[in-house]
Amino acid sequence: MRPCINLLRRSAWKGPHVVPLPIAHAQKTGTPVRTNARACTILPQFVGLKFEIHNGKEYVEVEITDEMVGSKLGEFAATRKRFNYKFSKN
Amino acid sequence: MGVHIFGKSIKHNALVRIGLAKRIFGIGYQSAEKICAKVGIYPQMRMNQLTEPQIMSINKELSTMTIEGHLKQKMIDDIKAKRRIGSYAGIRHALGLPVRGQGTRNNANTAKKMNRIERRFR
Repeated sequence: MRPCINLLRRSAWKGPHVVPLPIAHAQKTGTPVRTNARACTILPQFVGLKFEIHNGKEYVEVEITDEMVGSKLGEFAATRKRFNYKFSKN
Repeated sequence: MGVHIFGKSIKHNALVRIGLAKRIFGIGYQSAEKICAKVGIYPQMRMNQLTEPQIMSINKELSTMTIEGHLKQKMIDDIKAKRRIGSYAGIRHALGLPVRGQGTRNNANTAKKMNRIERRFR
């Protein structure tokens, strides 16, 4: 049988890509976790916490919900802005 | 001229595994071969050589899998879930742009056609 696409993504022995973050401190005090680690996988322990994720310019505030588990932090902080033309008078 | 399997008419002179893979959404060559092996159809067998009990057992095998409408609904639901949580993939689906990092300077025509929240299918 073939493994499903979620398993093909990354070797099982590596486990999910996680960087050390001050989770315990955030759970106690309820302060948002400010981080630049966009590639960090969202674990079940993160649910209910607030994160401030860097988008290259500023920190976007995101609250982690149940359905986000398994995706990366960076998916929820868009790095690009939609272009819209502004008229200038001159 | 066709053999009816799972509500689909399949060309009578097609190989069974290829006919299944071509006509039924969600069945590819690999899973078609697997079905044939399970039911006991030799690889060179053609659609018009199937007997009635064999067609019945193929139907029974197919009804246990998520294919056709159920699969399409599942795909749409998955996209909607991504949109709801506000992930990048969901936003790209909603904008009708490529989801997996492809460029959009030219082309990106398939994405413009297919990528909606209510995704379209061929």
